Parts: sequence; C-alpha cells; structure tokens
Amino acid sequence: MGSLFNALHTSIDAGAVILIAAMGSLLAERSGMLNLGMEGMMALGAVAAVVAAGQLTSPLLCLLVGIAAGALCGLVFGVVTAVIRANQVLTGLALVLLGVGLANRIGTDFAGTPMSTTFSSWPIPLLHEIPYIGRALFSHDPIVYVAYLVLPAAASYVLFRTRHGLNVRAIGENAAAADAAGLRVTATRTIYATIGGALAGMAGGWLVLSLTPTWTQNVTGGRGWVAIALVIFAYWRPWRVVGGALLFGGMISLGFLAQDQNWGIPAPVLAMLPYVLTLVLIVLPAFVPSIRARRAGAAPAGLTLPFYREAR
Amino acid sequence: MIRLQRRLRVDRRRSITLRLAGVVISLLVAGVVLQISGSPALMLGRRAVETMTTPYGMEQGLVLATPILLTALAVALGFRMRLWNIGVDGQLYIGALAATGIGLNVNGPTWLMLTLMMVAGAAGGAFWILGPALARAYGRVNEIITTLLMNFVALQVVNWLSLGPWRDSTIPDLSATRRIPYELPILPGTNTVPIGVIAPFLIAAVVFFIFRFTTWGYEVDISGGNARAAEYAGIDVRRRIVSVMCISGAIAGASGAILVAGTTHRLSSTISNQYGFSGFIVAALAAGAIVVLILVGLLVAGLLVAAITLQTLGLSVDAVLALYGLILIGNVVAEVAARYRVVRTTKPPPELQFAPAEALAGAGPQGLSALTAAGSPPESTD
Repeated sequence: MGSLFNALHTSIDAGAVILIAAMGSLLAERSGMLNLGMEGMMALGAVAAVVAAGQLTSPLLCLLVGIAAGALCGLVFGVVTAVIRANQVLTGLALVLLGVGLANRIGTDFAGTPMSTTFSSWPIPLLHEIPYIGRALFSHDPIVYVAYLVLPAAASYVLFRTRHGLNVRAIGENAAAADAAGLRVTATRTIYATIGGALAGMAGGWLVLSLTPTWTQNVTGGRGWVAIALVIFAYWRPWRVVGGALLFGGMISLGFLAQDQNWGIPAPVLAMLPYVLTLVLIVLPAFVPSIRARRAGAAPAGLTLPFYREAR
Repeated sequence: MIRLQRRLRVDRRRSITLRLAGVVISLLVAGVVLQISGSPALMLGRRAVETMTTPYGMEQGLVLATPILLTALAVALGFRMRLWNIGVDGQLYIGALAATGIGLNVNGPTWLMLTLMMVAGAAGGAFWILGPALARAYGRVNEIITTLLMNFVALQVVNWLSLGPWRDSTIPDLSATRRIPYELPILPGTNTVPIGVIAPFLIAAVVFFIFRFTTWGYEVDISGGNARAAEYAGIDVRRRIVSVMCISGAIAGASGAILVAGTTHRLSSTISNQYGFSGFIVAALAAGAIVVLILVGLLVAGLLVAAITLQTLGLSVDAVLALYGLILIGNVVAEVAARYRVVRTTKPPPELQFAPAEALAGAGPQGLSALTAAGSPPESTD
C-alpha cells in the first residue's frame, strides 16, 4: 500500500517537469508559434541553473537564472520567426541542436557532482498529515504546487476569460484578421514565444534543482518533445495538459515501482514506457472517430504560419 | 528613409550567396564564443583543417560520411513530399540491430550474410518508421514528433538487447554485443574505409534517376507540391506518404547495417555519433540539391572527425551539435534575407505598404510560390 502512494508521489513530481514545459509550449502555440526547440531550451535552462548553483545559495534564484536562459532562447526564436519570419520548424530544430549541444558542452565540467542547493519539500499544514494520501499529494516542493495549480489556472484564465487571451487566440487562428482588427501580431507572438521559452527554462531548471539534483549529459532526455506531444494530446487546453502530464509521470513511476518490487521486467523496457505512452496518446485519438470529430479544429489554425502584412 | 521590400522572385544565386554568408557568420560567432570560453579558436580551426587534410583524417572523414550522407539522403527524400523524418537516428539503430541479429544468429557464406544484413537493416529501418508513416498518412498525426519520439524507444530497444541477451560477457565492462563475424571488405586503395562508402553515391544516383525519369517520382513531387491537386489528379497521396517515409526509413536503416558491418562490428547504444542530426542538417542546408548534399555531407563529416580528434582542445561532438544549430539559424535567416531588398525612399509610397495583389496576380505561379516556399525545406502543411 505504502509503495503505491510513494509511486503517486513520484508520478506527480515526474509529471511536473513536463507540465511546466507543456504549458509554455501551449501558450506560445496559442499565438501561432510552434517552437520545436523545447528540448534545447529546457537543456539550457537546466545547465544555467546548474552553473548558477555554484554561485548562489537560494534555489529560487537558481531557478530564476534557468528561467532567464530559457526566456532568452524563446526571445531569439520569437525574433527569428515572428520578426524576421523565418521557417518555424527549422528554427525550432536548430534550437534543439544549439541548446542540447551547448548545454552538454557547458555541463561536461559539472557532470556527476550533486547540486549544492535544491528545493526542499513544503508540506501543506494539516493536509499532509492525512494518512497515505497526505504525503503523496501535499508534501511536494513549492514549484510542484505552482505547476499543478497556479500555471494551468493562470493560463486557462488568461486565454479564455480575458480580452487579452481572446486577442492572443485570434492571432493564433488568423493573424491577418487579427492584424486588420488592430492587434499587434508580431509583438504578441514574440512575447508569447518568450513566455514559452521562460517556462521551458523553468522546467529544465526545476529538473536539476529538485527531480534529479545533479547534472548528467542529456539530462532532459526527450522531455521537451514529450511536452510538445502532450499539448497535441490535450488539444491545446491547459487543464487537459495536467492529465497528460500525470499519465506520463505515472509511467515513469511505474518503472521505478517495477524495479523496486522486482517484477523482472528489463530496465530498458521500463525506460521506454513513457515514450511509448506518449506516442500512443497522440496517435490513438487520431484513429478514434468520435474523439477525432471532437478535436477537429482544436489546433490553432495559424500554427507555424508566418504573417506577412504586405502579402495579403 | 530605408525600407525593406519583398521581392516577388528570389533568384537562386543570391539565395546561395546569402546562405553561404549565413554559414560563415555562424562559424565566426562560434569562433568568438570559443575564444571567450578559453579555447584558442584560430589554432583550433587550423588544427581542424590539418586533421581533415591528413590521409588518416580523410579516411576517417569518409568513414563518418557514409552514415551522414545516407541519413541526409533519407531526410532529403522526405523533404520531397514535405515530410520531416527526424527519426533517422532511431531507424539507423534499428537497422543496425536487425543486421546484428542476422549476423550473430545465422551462419552462411560471407557475401550472402552481408547481403542479408543489408536487407535486414533496410527492413528494420522501414519497419521503425511504419507506425509514424501510417499515423501521418491516415490520421494526420505530426510526423516530426512521432519519428523523434521513436528515437528514444529505439535507443532503449538497442540497450535492452546489447546489455541483455546479446551481450558479450567474455569481456568485462563491455556494454556491447558479441562481435559480428561478418565484415564488409575494405575499399581498394584505402586502409580503413569499408566498401559501404559507395552506398550513398549509389543511392543518390538512384534517387536522382527516380525523380528525373519515373512516374512514381513525378507523382511524389506533385503530392509534395500540392497534395490537393495531386489527389484531384487521381494520385493516392496517402500511399505515397507511406511509401516515401518507408523508403526514407529503409535508407537510414541500411546506414545502420553498414555501420555495424563495416565500422563498429558490435551493436551498442553509442554507435551513432549524432549521425542522424548531422544528416538532418546536411539535408536542410542542401535544400534538395543532391550534389550540394554530397559536398556538404563530406564537409560535415570532416568537421565531426576534427571534433572527435580535438576533444582535448575544447571541441567535442556536443560543440559540433551546438555549431549545427547556429549554422541552421544563420541559414534560415539568410533564406529570408534573400527574399527582401533594401530600398531608399523619401517617403514610404502608400501603394507599396499594402499588398500588391495585382502584382501577385501578374507574377504567375512562380511569383506566388516564391512567397511561400522559396526553395526551402518545406513548412509542415497541416
């Protein structure tokens, strides 16, 4: 029984990384910016936090450094694709190579050394004392609560309950119409690309400041790609991303559980489960007619399309 | 006042010049970064050129060029239909795995076994992309993400077999399979280059022939240019998507088979030195021109050799990966720059601010396509 709730605890933590990154991708995509470079921005955010941890003692400050690194990459993406209007897919893939390569290069010197500062758990008073459930749900570090409660609530509120959010979605659906209505397409897209990068950097930073508190080469291990996939799975709805992230986290913790309990499944097979699950999550719905019909048109219509005022 | 004005036509020479400039600027930026971070960039460059020009360096370059060129061809084939096969590394691994499986478990004359290994490699690569291909064709699932995620699965499958059932337990600390008893012969005239090096040139010639002279190639080109028009003309675009992606996967898989049969002789999860991403960047820089693809591929292979040889001086495969990213960004920006010209005006003429719809209509199909594609690797069209 206890190990099951431990597994739940792990799922929530492992899902949080994906959740933060996916929320960043979702916000950027809603404005029409598909940044495939999440993996690279996460890696740079992580390595920035690792480097910062050598100088700073507060994990929050280290996280801020990671966020800043991610935001810088997001800004570069925004400028290159929204202002200069270069191909989003190629630019995103370039960011993956640049980010992962640079992060691994910088991280070489830090590989294997444990982080000197990490987030510690903030048990919620009273609630965390509930037997079993209490530890599993209410005994995480502060960023996890932010990831599961603040981020989706804020993203959902801004996107669907404010005029600004309506504008952002309009820009993502039809930039030319939004422009004709007087909205600032380029500025909004650049800002949202930066926000997406900041959240990717935050995900990477938190990864090394809490989940796996040491730098290892390729520490992000495809999580950036999973985040992009989860946005598709969630059909661009913030709260549904939470569900996807928990499923992904569940798969990771299932791997730990299987090793812990000696179920006799080879470790590599367990390690591939989260990716297989992610693939199933995005492929299967496309072949179930009812889901497919419900999701038709969910993707922002202007995703990856550059906006040329002078061409329309 | 200086303004930017869009060109209706992009001429090829200007585009190439600007893209070359983009690459040079990226290299300069990388040099400055290296210099600041404490590695002597100039000396590094000189040593890199030295490494690339020694007989050993050139042979190593050819050895590395084999998987890079093959994966680049695989990616470029996808580009013909605006499909992104980012999972070439995974297909390479599964191809290598299939070839290793045959090589370790079947006995026969060497020539037959090597042929079987190549066929198994190609089949393994095609099999690995079949899922993403079917999902893309019949479910419109974005192939960039599915092919890429399959890389991680492939790596774990290789880990499982090379650390588990197929592991060579006679040598301690070796996390690879037993040595495959069949080896590709060495190319005559060289000391270390396996005969597999001719594969990319053969395949490039075949691909060129197919797209120049066959109906199938023409139909693929049409489907890539305008899927709706192709469907209207009676082409089964979905089947073309599946077959193009499977052939792309097969080429990548064959490169894995050549890699284990010619170079590594054992399967492990580290046989690829980022060959997949190297192939991707070669294909992206070549933008569909097959001769350019081969030239760029050889250059990138030389760069990778230099990076591996000069690890102590601050270069590494990771540094090269970062450099790829930088070059690719320089390239996409240059591609956009080629589409604009700088004009001096005293006052912005109002009629130019809004779109020259008449001008567009007059420009004909070429003018329109220049606005959207401009010879670049394609946007994902979904």
